[in-house]
Amino acid sequence: MSDAILSGRGLAKAYLSGDRRIEVLRGVDLEILPGESVSIRGESGSGKSTLLNLLSGLDTADSGELAWAGAPAHGDARARFLGMVFQSFYLIPEIDAFANVLMAARMLGAPGAVERARAKDLLARVGLAERATHLPSQLSGGERQRVAVARALLNSPRLLLADEPTGNLDEHTGDAVIELLLSLCRETGTALALVTHNVAHAKKTSRQLFLHEGKLSHG
Amino acid sequence: MPWYLYLALKQLFPTGRRFPFFTAISVLGVALGVAVLIISSSVMGGFGHKIREMTVDTQGDVQVRGDGLIADPAALQVQLMKIPGVVATTPFAEGPVAVIYQLKPQFPGLQGIDPNRIGNVIPLNRYITGGSLAALDDDSIILGSQLAIALGARLGDKVEVYSPLAFEKLRMSKGDEVFLPRELRVVGYFEFGHQALDGSVALVPLRAMQDLYGLGRAVHGINIKITHGLDADVMAERINAALPSPQHLRARSWIEINQDFLFVLQFERNMMFFLLMFIVVVAAFSVTSSLLIAVVRKTREIGLLGALGAKPRQVAACFCFQGFFIGVAGTLVGLGLGFGVLGVRDNIIEIFARITQSKAALLRFYQFSHLPSYTEPSYLVATIIGTIGISTLAGLLPAWRAAKLKPVEALRSE
Repeated sequence: MSDAILSGRGLAKAYLSGDRRIEVLRGVDLEILPGESVSIRGESGSGKSTLLNLLSGLDTADSGELAWAGAPAHGDARARFLGMVFQSFYLIPEIDAFANVLMAARMLGAPGAVERARAKDLLARVGLAERATHLPSQLSGGERQRVAVARALLNSPRLLLADEPTGNLDEHTGDAVIELLLSLCRETGTALALVTHNVAHAKKTSRQLFLHEGKLSHG
Repeated sequence: MPWYLYLALKQLFPTGRRFPFFTAISVLGVALGVAVLIISSSVMGGFGHKIREMTVDTQGDVQVRGDGLIADPAALQVQLMKIPGVVATTPFAEGPVAVIYQLKPQFPGLQGIDPNRIGNVIPLNRYITGGSLAALDDDSIILGSQLAIALGARLGDKVEVYSPLAFEKLRMSKGDEVFLPRELRVVGYFEFGHQALDGSVALVPLRAMQDLYGLGRAVHGINIKITHGLDADVMAERINAALPSPQHLRARSWIEINQDFLFVLQFERNMMFFLLMFIVVVAAFSVTSSLLIAVVRKTREIGLLGALGAKPRQVAACFCFQGFFIGVAGTLVGLGLGFGVLGVRDNIIEIFARITQSKAALLRFYQFSHLPSYTEPSYLVATIIGTIGISTLAGLLPAWRAAKLKPVEALRSE
């Protein structure tokens, strides 16, 4: 049995566009080891986000097998196993930064003092200790993404999936967010799968992959 | 608190916003519906209650009548008083007469009562608005207030009374035989607050009525007062079981006697309640509409919740709870508003009457200067349960839509 934290074998996904069948993924094989950081690059429309959706269990593959920590992937385990960061942050506008971070813990039950302390600590580690009571609308793009990173890490996931997390940020802020993601994952021993267009960001990960014509290759 | 309840409350009362506009408008819509329901059903209930009270006050709780006349009322009264639950009895005789004053005729129903015992069964003194019941003797009459106005008769005036028997005597009189009508002095007025009674009933002592109708010692019926709190229908059944059957007597409760009228009252009230419930339904539709817009606006957030591990039924519960909360809050505010308005209803009527200069008309046609109000517990419970139920249902459609969203598609939506 493999030690991989995530293992995908022969993952395939096709969409129908009118009468046309578009094969986005054609049997992708991927393994991510504990604590490893992997980047996935590819052209627009190459299927990077589709692959990430399959890996996160948000979407189901037409064929292939997916395992999380050696067990078949199941949606119910997602909240504990995975953290996700998206290009568009997706913070809940009605609640402040602290409550947004804590939301991940609420999904698993009523958050206690431990979860609250961890949320506070994570906000401090992403440099937003002073902005905890601010609403998303009162934060800059970079700050919102840092809140999203803190939220993704709150439940101590074993794998963090980041789908173009710098896509809506300027270069400088984007660099800072990537540095933060990588350092936090290193510190916490969380594996990272980073989907990005940015070659410089991809090179900062321990393994670089390239998605082309529905297949993954070393980039 | 489960996350979906927490988020529902946060969506209703967002952090940092002093006035949650959507919540306030939704709650107000439901509250107005509840307030209108409470006010209308309470006022209708007040009228009904007043009419029931007046009916019991004029007829007693139970009435015993025979196929014909009751020949020995005294003996029957003794028998009735032995039945457990019977508090007091009073005999009566009744029939139409012609009353003439200064050539102005009226044709009221004349009630022969026992002035000494009627107070034990019917609180007649409460309704005497001029003169006194104590002054009623064999040569006097108490007129309904509207009847007195129609005749133009005042206290101390003498009116002529013709019974059917008198007309018969008049018809049979021969030659120079002169027939004189019975002259009765007006010694009082009563006002029950009901046009039909105040305009067409007059009271005389039982002996006078027996003379006018040639009844001898017989009466038409016995009015009965029962112990407070006992069911009038049950008591009527008990009395019927105890009555001697050869006399063909039958006891009927005031509810049975007036069942058609009471049915109309109840039907009218139920229909009004049913129709006004649509205000709540309309308010609920606006809640549905607002929540549906929220679901569309928050599609990507709903996708995020799915990505964080939310189950479809939890997402549905989040929106359903918002409908439920709006229902509960709207009901509480509506109850406060409704009972508040009911508390100052007389002031409102006073202002309305002053503006429209219609106080006299209100008194004349509706016979009230104080708007009656009685909130029946069953209507109150139906309003509360109905409103909260409808509001919760209003959240179901948006909840269903939200639950149907697939996270991956929701996150991708523009």
